[in-house]
Amino acid sequence: MAVNGKRGYRSGLLNLGVGEISREIFVNEDIYAEEQERIFARAWLHVGHESQIPKPGDYFVSSMGEESVILCRDRAGRIHVFLNSCRHRGMKVCRYDEGSTTVFTCPYHGWSYGTDGRLVGVPYFREAYHSRLDKEKWGLVEVAQLCNYKGSIWATWDTAAPPLTEYLGDFTRFLDLQLDGWDGREGQAEVLGGIQKWLVPCNWKFPAENFSGDTYHNISHRSVDLAGIGPSGAGRRDMGERDASRKLHVCIPDRGHQTILYVLPAGKLPPPAYMNAPIVAEYFRHCAEERRRRRGDESRLIGAPGEIFPNTALLSRQPRTMAAWHPRGPHQTECWRWFFVDRDAPTEVKQFLRDYYIRYSGPAGMTEQDDMENWNYAHAASRGTIARRHPYNYDQGRGTAVADYEYQGLRVPGEVIDLTEVQSSEQPMRNFYRRWAEFMEADDWSQLATWRSGERKAAE
Amino acid sequence: MSAPINVRDLVPGTSVVLADGAVAEIVTNPGDGMWLFARYLTSPRDPTLVGQEEMIFAPDVVALGRSAVV
Amino acid sequence: MAERDARIDRLLLGQEIADFLYREAELLDERRYREWLDLLADDIRYWMPMRRNVKFGEDEREFTRADSDINWFDEGKDTLSRRVKQIETGIHWAEEPRSRLSHLVANVQLQGAEPSFAAPQQVSVTSRFLIYRNRVQTETDILVGRREDSLRRNGAGWLLARRKIILDQNVLLSKNLTFFI
Repeated sequence: MAVNGKRGYRSGLLNLGVGEISREIFVNEDIYAEEQERIFARAWLHVGHESQIPKPGDYFVSSMGEESVILCRDRAGRIHVFLNSCRHRGMKVCRYDEGSTTVFTCPYHGWSYGTDGRLVGVPYFREAYHSRLDKEKWGLVEVAQLCNYKGSIWATWDTAAPPLTEYLGDFTRFLDLQLDGWDGREGQAEVLGGIQKWLVPCNWKFPAENFSGDTYHNISHRSVDLAGIGPSGAGRRDMGERDASRKLHVCIPDRGHQTILYVLPAGKLPPPAYMNAPIVAEYFRHCAEERRRRRGDESRLIGAPGEIFPNTALLSRQPRTMAAWHPRGPHQTECWRWFFVDRDAPTEVKQFLRDYYIRYSGPAGMTEQDDMENWNYAHAASRGTIARRHPYNYDQGRGTAVADYEYQGLRVPGEVIDLTEVQSSEQPMRNFYRRWAEFMEADDWSQLATWRSGERKAAE
Repeated sequence: MSAPINVRDLVPGTSVVLADGAVAEIVTNPGDGMWLFARYLTSPRDPTLVGQEEMIFAPDVVALGRSAVV
Repeated sequence: MAERDARIDRLLLGQEIADFLYREAELLDERRYREWLDLLADDIRYWMPMRRNVKFGEDEREFTRADSDINWFDEGKDTLSRRVKQIETGIHWAEEPRSRLSHLVANVQLQGAEPSFAAPQQVSVTSRFLIYRNRVQTETDILVGRREDSLRRNGAGWLLARRKIILDQNVLLSKNLTFFI
């Protein structure tokens, strides 16, 4: 496969032109090691949310790729992300999950760092170091760039990476669906206490490609639909707004971000939902009206599963949650989930949503359980000698995406496939893996930030 | 060598006697059991430290002085 | 004599409650989920908080809170029934084929009885569990922890009115919780 005229990463692994991808990418140790260098060391990664660290001194230990990091707010109120590793001999300087502190002290030799990362305490600095250690050089390793986007905290180790909003490009509005208020006010989200963390025996790209927009696997969730956990009693979610909408795959080809998206007809508000709780139903009805008033046509966008390259999954409603798929070797992923509500939503609304989120997502989530089972055993099957000779089929809907999609006056950016009749496509996966190959091959951002030179990607 | 003191929960205002004979008063305690931020009250070895706030390493605390009443 | 009677009352009640817990465990292990649901009060609260690694002295941060935080479980009989219903579809792939389960219940301690040990209407009991789950070919999970239960008298028997499960894990080491604890 040729990417921008180049030979392409490990020629033969990806044949997007015929919709085939080798199983090797999920199980190969060398490829995994290269991913840590070429992807996780360069891309923007989701670390947490400002509502987790409201006051100076607050911290939350997170993960970027394989590595433990500390998200904290210093005494002056500035937010930082540091590598959770003493500069002296590496011991973690924080092994609590979250809390509040004035310093991070290493238990091994006592080096101590302020919440701004500066090295402040060095035992026997005068005696053993003869006051010669340059403390300014030995503070905690800090990320190259950090961005607080509407409360969500993102970071990258790469000084050359484009700023976050440029990295997101036209996908920014879909992250907005996640973080803005249901009523259309900007950035109203807060994180519910308790971040779910659990291990799944699969490569991180299985969940990543699933959340890129797997519209084909609905059958796998038939049991939860039959059990009926939805907020109106039936199915697993309220389908009214989806049934009333065009169903789309939206791919931002230059960036490798993609999402399922629903678009309501012009002038139509979302149908009633959350019917199991009249207070909640009324709240969302009111929010939908307010959103229409504030945002006009843009409020016709209804969020659904999406993925920001490489490993941040979005789902902005029913349930409202973000996930990070942290690589833990090629054969294991540590999944983290944050759950959101609007910070000023009534208590009854927050509680109702919280109950729903718990039974939908995560290891006790009656929906997500079946996803993980598939990822687990699909990964296991990918390891076999014979299995690896047979590529996976990613051919669905190839060649059918269009640019300049418009529905009743609302333009949708990127390469779009209207799924309303065709039901499904695998365009998002092809988009994701093409970007994956670009990251694996690119020497620097001049080869990754191709939009800067006006180079236009073709849909595949 | 004096018995070790756990400095983790010492409250601000507490005086500590240091190995070199100095006495310092705790300003803030980071609660890590390893360091204290303390102001020197006396410092026979280096009088320029008097009045200065310094980081004190726990093993250098050999005794407690007068405690603040809280 | 009265003191000895009181001790005997407590001993008998303790055994009766332990038998309830063992029988409950057997129902789960034998996949007799409908009968297990019948042991639950209609207003049961079934709660398993998540656990954080916290600084010494900051125990209030350790557990996620009921009602407001995200937990592993925090639900009532309706949701528990739907979990059973999901397994019974035969197409809940995370639990199809079904796991092999053994619930070992130990350290059963009667904590209190109202209004009395002699004629109890409500009982609080703690126990520890070791759940061995084996599934498909080699998938194995072991979950260990403690339970704090409230039982309510129901005729000659008991109903589970409240269960708080304290799992001894931070990052959940099993990929799912398709079973009851």
